[in-house]
Amino acid sequence: MKDFRAPNEHDAAERAWRVARTAYESREPVTWPRRHARPLIAGAVVAAAVAAVLSPPGRSVVHSLRKAVGVENARTELFSLPAQGRLLVSGQGGTWLVNADGSRRRLGAYRDAAFSPHGLYITAVRRNELVALDPKGNVRWSLPRRSPRFPTWTGTFTDTRIAYVAGGRLHVVAGDGTGDRTIGPAAHVPPVWRPERIVVYSNGHGIAGYNTRTQRVVRHVALSGGGPTIRRHARQSEVVLGGRVLFRGTGVFDQVVRSPDGRWLLVTWPTADQWIFIRIQPRKIVGVSRISAQFGGFPRVGGWCCGG
Amino acid sequence: MAGSGRDERAWVRRAQAGSVSDFEALFRAHWGPAYRAAYLVVRDATAAEDIAQEAFLAAVRSLDRFDRRRPFGPWLHRIVVNRAIDWARARALRPEAKAVDVPAPERPERDEELLRELDLLSPEHRAVIVLRYLLEYTPGEIAELLELPRGTVNSRLRRGLDSLKERLE
Repeated sequence: MKDFRAPNEHDAAERAWRVARTAYESREPVTWPRRHARPLIAGAVVAAAVAAVLSPPGRSVVHSLRKAVGVENARTELFSLPAQGRLLVSGQGGTWLVNADGSRRRLGAYRDAAFSPHGLYITAVRRNELVALDPKGNVRWSLPRRSPRFPTWTGTFTDTRIAYVAGGRLHVVAGDGTGDRTIGPAAHVPPVWRPERIVVYSNGHGIAGYNTRTQRVVRHVALSGGGPTIRRHARQSEVVLGGRVLFRGTGVFDQVVRSPDGRWLLVTWPTADQWIFIRIQPRKIVGVSRISAQFGGFPRVGGWCCGG
Repeated sequence: MAGSGRDERAWVRRAQAGSVSDFEALFRAHWGPAYRAAYLVVRDATAAEDIAQEAFLAAVRSLDRFDRRRPFGPWLHRIVVNRAIDWARARALRPEAKAVDVPAPERPERDEELLRELDLLSPEHRAVIVLRYLLEYTPGEIAELLELPRGTVNSRLRRGLDSLKERLE
């Protein structure tokens, strides 16, 4: 068995190397002190947690740590959203739909959930399946695929498309689950829809585009600019909009998502276990803490969509 | 072939520091065994490629946290074999038209027969045989890799081999 060779080893290795290399080059290298600081931080957190269980003074240590990182006076529950619309969140605890009044529905053990363009449906993945759900969690259709990830939906009321990555390749499927088409090799990164039905993705060499209308590769593609962005520095992150820093905090901000009316931003802040809602003008900050406890692990936001 | 322990530690260290060529050395040293092991468990070249590729992507994601004192191969093989077992189990639950594989390289007839018979074993039995006879782990190491009791590994090896022997005789 030692001399066994699998089919097409060389070609498979070259394809996998292109994907692995892209992933390697796009990772954020960690500097020596930070790499070694992680176990120390982890140790400190464990020690603090143990102390909290053992004694009342310990509990105040945990409280102080959290306060030192997050926004003070944050709400302890997500009682409501500051703007209309519904939030879609996915994490270890599954996928949840959060209504503006704070009520929430668990849709199931899915991940990478995303809204359809008008928020009428939701696409998500589980182990070897891409699914479309209605907001009650009923499965409308499903497509068995190997380890699908990052579905993103675009289109109009009458014609929609979902782009996703499975088996190291970009796929595009119609919004009703038909006509699944493999576009080409893709790295393990979420694809992004641009106007004119162009899907932008990483193909292992760089950024590539594919026009689903003309079914042709697009040579020059640009990612959108102008929206809110996160800038990460060594110890801090900041949210920037139109060149203006709206919010700054210790550690890592994961995502920034705009409300349907465009007036609020939601910044997810795993370091502080908080979500921060920022009203852009006049500026107002509303923090919500204990996010991991509310969703069974710190979740990713799949969208903030569409009235309701 | 995987490099020596010292080579490998150096590759990991320099890959953690951002050296693409050292990451490539690590990839080239481990791709073949990982892909072959996945293929022997799932017996589908496309799935094996996905599984081995996913394992390397997991390696990229965990590279900064990887403890350089530990060997890289067993860590990678654990991911590959566990994912391959999961995939094979899922396929068994949801049979589908068998994908047409690309033509396999020329192999002696006896090897073909062995592979066909290997196919008839459960994914769990295939996995321990692949780990033992392709990747040359000891039963103790396999037990650690798959988080199984040593006795379970021995019995899976024994039963797998007996069943192969019976059919090949």
